Amino acid sequence: MRNRLAGLFWSLVFLAVPVLGVAVFAVAPSIDVWLPKDVSAHGKDIDSLFYFILALTGIVFIATEMLLFWFVWKYDEAARGDQKATYIQGSHTLEVIWTIIPAVLLLFLAIYQMNAWADMKMRRPVMKPTVEVVARQFEWRLRYPGPDGDLGTPDDLFLVNDLHVPVDEDILVQLKSMDVLHSFFLPNLRVKQDAVPGMKIPVWFKASEVGQYDLVCAELCGWGHYKMKGRITIESREDFDAWLEAKYREQEATQAEPLQEDL
Amino acid sequence: MNRHSFFVCESLQRVMQNASPALACTLLLCGLLMSATGCGKTPAASFRPNMVEAAKQRLTPDQEAQVATILEAMFGTPDDPVALPETGLDVSKLRLAAGPVHSDIVGRKNGLFREHCSHCHGVTGDGMGPTAAFLNPYPRDYRPGWFKFKSTERADKPTHADLVTILNNGINGTSMPSFALLGEAKVDALVEYVKYLSMRGEAELSLMRYYFELDDEDEGKLPETREFLVEEILLPVAERWQEAEDAIIDVPEMPEVDLQESIALGKELFYGNKANCVKCHGVTGLGDGQANDYDDWNKVVKQWSDEVLSAHDASTSEMSREEKAEHRAWLARSDKALAGDALDPRTIQPRNLRQAIYRGGRRPLDLYYRIHAGINGAPMPAAAGTLTPDEIWHIVNYVRSLPYEYDGELGADRSMVARDRL
Amino acid sequence: MSTVTHHGPGDTTTVAPARSAQPRPVAEFLSTYVFSKDHKVIGLQFLFSTLVWFLIGGLLALAVRWQVAWPWSDVPVLGKLFAQEGGQMSPEFYTMLFTMHATVMIFLVIIPILAGAFGNFLIPLMIGADDMAFPTLNMLSYWFMWPAFFAFGASFFVEGGAASSGWTSYPPLTTNLGASPGSGMGQTLWLIGLTFVGVSSMLGSVNYMTTIIVMRAPGMTMFRLPMTIWAMFITALLQAFALPVLTAAGFMQLFDRTIGTGFFSPEGSIINNQMTGAGGGQPLLWQHLFWFYSHPAVYIMILPAMGMVSDIMTCFARKPLFGYRPMVYSVAGIAGLGFIVWGHHMFISGMNPALGMTFMVSTMMIALPSAVKTFNWLGTLWGGRIQFTTAMLFAISFVSMFIIGGLSGIFMAATPVDIFIHDTYFIVAHFHYVLFAGTAMGVWAAIYFWFPKMFGRTMNEFWGKVHFFLTFIFLNGTFFTMHILGAVGFPRRLADAYHYETFHHLQPMNAFMTYCAIGMVACQAIFAINFFWSMFYGPKAGRNPWNANGLEWTAPSPPGHGNFDIQPIVYRGPYEYSVPGCEKDHLMQTDPPLEHAVAAAH
Repeated sequence: MRNRLAGLFWSLVFLAVPVLGVAVFAVAPSIDVWLPKDVSAHGKDIDSLFYFILALTGIVFIATEMLLFWFVWKYDEAARGDQKATYIQGSHTLEVIWTIIPAVLLLFLAIYQMNAWADMKMRRPVMKPTVEVVARQFEWRLRYPGPDGDLGTPDDLFLVNDLHVPVDEDILVQLKSMDVLHSFFLPNLRVKQDAVPGMKIPVWFKASEVGQYDLVCAELCGWGHYKMKGRITIESREDFDAWLEAKYREQEATQAEPLQEDL
Repeated sequence: MNRHSFFVCESLQRVMQNASPALACTLLLCGLLMSATGCGKTPAASFRPNMVEAAKQRLTPDQEAQVATILEAMFGTPDDPVALPETGLDVSKLRLAAGPVHSDIVGRKNGLFREHCSHCHGVTGDGMGPTAAFLNPYPRDYRPGWFKFKSTERADKPTHADLVTILNNGINGTSMPSFALLGEAKVDALVEYVKYLSMRGEAELSLMRYYFELDDEDEGKLPETREFLVEEILLPVAERWQEAEDAIIDVPEMPEVDLQESIALGKELFYGNKANCVKCHGVTGLGDGQANDYDDWNKVVKQWSDEVLSAHDASTSEMSREEKAEHRAWLARSDKALAGDALDPRTIQPRNLRQAIYRGGRRPLDLYYRIHAGINGAPMPAAAGTLTPDEIWHIVNYVRSLPYEYDGELGADRSMVARDRL
Repeated sequence: MSTVTHHGPGDTTTVAPARSAQPRPVAEFLSTYVFSKDHKVIGLQFLFSTLVWFLIGGLLALAVRWQVAWPWSDVPVLGKLFAQEGGQMSPEFYTMLFTMHATVMIFLVIIPILAGAFGNFLIPLMIGADDMAFPTLNMLSYWFMWPAFFAFGASFFVEGGAASSGWTSYPPLTTNLGASPGSGMGQTLWLIGLTFVGVSSMLGSVNYMTTIIVMRAPGMTMFRLPMTIWAMFITALLQAFALPVLTAAGFMQLFDRTIGTGFFSPEGSIINNQMTGAGGGQPLLWQHLFWFYSHPAVYIMILPAMGMVSDIMTCFARKPLFGYRPMVYSVAGIAGLGFIVWGHHMFISGMNPALGMTFMVSTMMIALPSAVKTFNWLGTLWGGRIQFTTAMLFAISFVSMFIIGGLSGIFMAATPVDIFIHDTYFIVAHFHYVLFAGTAMGVWAAIYFWFPKMFGRTMNEFWGKVHFFLTFIFLNGTFFTMHILGAVGFPRRLADAYHYETFHHLQPMNAFMTYCAIGMVACQAIFAINFFWSMFYGPKAGRNPWNANGLEWTAPSPPGHGNFDIQPIVYRGPYEYSVPGCEKDHLMQTDPPLEHAVAAAH
């Protein structure tokens, strides 16, 4: 007669998976290891989809893992006594059920998110680029079009790593790369887009709150990938214009003295 | 209860049964692993001696050791920097930048240089960190004390603010990134540490060169008096750093002429004999002029490796046996220094002026400094003697217009203009 | 040749050739143990080689974890090996570490251990054949791994170090020699190594397909094949169709690097402050070609494990596999869909977003067969009579962990969510749950299960369970936390992310994961000792220690050359456990039909 405790022990080990799994996700937001603050107009679409999928997969996760635990607990050899295992080779009905239901759910999920995706990557606002971002090993070279609104003219403003955008306005970034692949990642704005050499890729978003956030490179770009750090400053239209003006004056400085006053 | 104790007994019994070889091996392996971890403690980082200069000056091992001792007394170690008051350096800033990187739960307190800089510039500031050999151009070697982009005259040291600007903006066109986001305090500490490394490097050079000037009665040893070390070695270096703050180039106002006219005048100068920019930057402005020159850092290595090479070829027939042995030892040591403590010399490319990439900054002011004072360490000469300030301004304006110059002089070379790709 | 009838170190009956024939001992030794054409010896050769690389890959992972937890601090032990200033790792060394960790684990461990080791060892035994269809090709498939071993191994010691552009090898980082230190000789060796792995896999897969189609024992119809064989068969198909694309792409990249073809290099870049040469290429082309292979490769890396787990689970649940045919169809479905989902690796790569939408739909659909398989495994446990052997525990944990890995895949299949979690630790969590918590656990299950067949002795069950328990705890400690790290957006492949304010507070969590990772690697010592100890001193196993049904259990342990002492004749499928009316609880495939059981079985 086999000992029942071994089976109980192992089934509890498998029970720990859903219990601790759910616990980790439940605790994560309270220890701030969770989605960073969202300051974009479209971010809530991503976040709500994330939560929706989390709920959906969470239910499936708990259900299947609990079932696994229950079967392991219940059908332990030691608990079955002299009883043989049930001789069953499958069930057509069950197969149909657990094919159709996930299929419908997955298809629904696929269609449900198409609109959000199109908003973020396909329906580009009709406007001239706010700023051109040229990724380079290992920094973000920025170019603002200047007063004439066109890039590639002598009044362009050149900057490094320090991206500023006005709040509550459509921002169109023209993303390029000078050398290898990079990825323009703004965690707080839920924006990520690879920069590909030889391509001009439009990226657009609308910031909804004033503040300073990280700009991260999210595609391996060489040994200095980790240090390709930028910063995005979201500010009011007035502050933005004033900043642009000051930076442009700084770039055109012909004297050392006034520069320091500007700073 | 009964059942439970049975289970415990049974498992214990099973452990004992199975324990013999498996348990012993596990313990052995864990022990090995732990002892390896303990022995694996890596030695503390140390400054690397300037082997090229030591070989060049034919220092004896005793002399090398003396230099090392003196330097450690004057400057300390990478983990524990020392700055004599004469250096004018702020030790608290140095401590922030020096030492191994500490990452604790609260955040990082020090080790900034080794976190951000040393993998290129090396712990010693010799421009030979592990990543250095793969970069183009090579990272700066601070030890000779030459700095390219600054607001002072060619031969002068840069000001503190100049170095801060470089760290903040990075150097476009090189692998030097911008560190502006570290914040003022950290950048300040790093600049202080760069100055410290540079002073240390220069002091090392002058110590090594001083042996040449010793009298016979010194018996090949430098005097280790404070007076000698401070007066003869440290102060000449430190004072030049302090003087730099007051030696900023005086920039006159831009002449009041129409921009297009100024550009035209600048163009004339660019191609004319007086400024003769075309010699290096090429008739196209693409930097395709003279291209076989070296910058000073590479020139030192190049010249010396040529010297060593010719010494290899030189005849030794007239040497005595001892001389031959000494010669061979010197050659071996020089080869070792060249292989291990210097990067293969590379020629310097004149700047392509049509890419809108300006290493020392794109402000008209920066370009004025560059043309006025030249670029220390690079073949770019100072124009201050030959050109008037107005003429320099005209060239500045022309150079700034080059990336946007649309007329078709470039022909097939249009593809080299990175304007559209910038 | 015929004097040698048995193999395996544990077998004392191996006949040593007479001394009088001078040249023969060496020749015999070489042809028996080294250049053997016996599928079992080749399988074991694969097994030992891949286990050695598994250890190397694990140590690389530890070094990676060290840097992630305590960036730029002195590395113990390893720090001495690469003694750069202090014991601190340089950033290019770190990129090399994770690149080679992935490369080694994928190309030198998972793929060859599944197809090479278990495919080779099990296919002829489980279908009742005396050997593979092409024994010489089979031998070559192993020996073609060696140039790859040398290329990958040597690349650590060339100037600039081994490849350091990620295992995905995205150009232009890889095609431009100045872009990264590891893009020099290291990357060339990487591509050469990859090509040889490809050749080896191709030789293997041709062999497996042919063997399974033509060499089945009498009565072994396709639908009486065990799931392991079905999975191996479909894996071989996948490999045969997908590999040529990778090989071609690999050569294109090699040409880009060596003769300046520029397939993947656009015109007018400035890399390492130098204008690049040839142009006219597209970096995205590589990504398409690479993932056209590497996505199916993901299934190459899991399907055989799924097959083996199905067999192990039925054996220890003493129950027929729930829904045998749906299981076969879902494997086929995964393989078919596997060819049209590669674009989901490229949602934010700059590929046409409309194309991204179609890939998103197909990706959602591929979750379906995986779900069906999971439900069927649960169905198999239901009503069973579960024996908690080590192999069974690993098999159950495979299912448990695969659920996590499968569900987390849905997040990244959803394109808008992928915008945020792409290239974060969420992805790292996902594929480690599939490949480590999935495949590696499946492989351990298989090792514990078929070890008696390989060496004639059983592994120590107690230490096996200790090994399982510790591995299971530590793996979840290491990888589960990665999900929430990914939710913060913590990016992959960063040597030091803590200078970002967004990720600054994640260091303690990473340190915890590193402790778990160290524990996970350390507890493999138990496995290693158990493995080698049992090989020589384990209790002798009979032909069928688990009372399993498959054909391999009718052969001696370990089987001699030619495998079976009598030609097996198959009367039924492999999962006839607990057949009502049958005295034993298992009915082997070769057992002659019982009068009353025949009706029940069909």
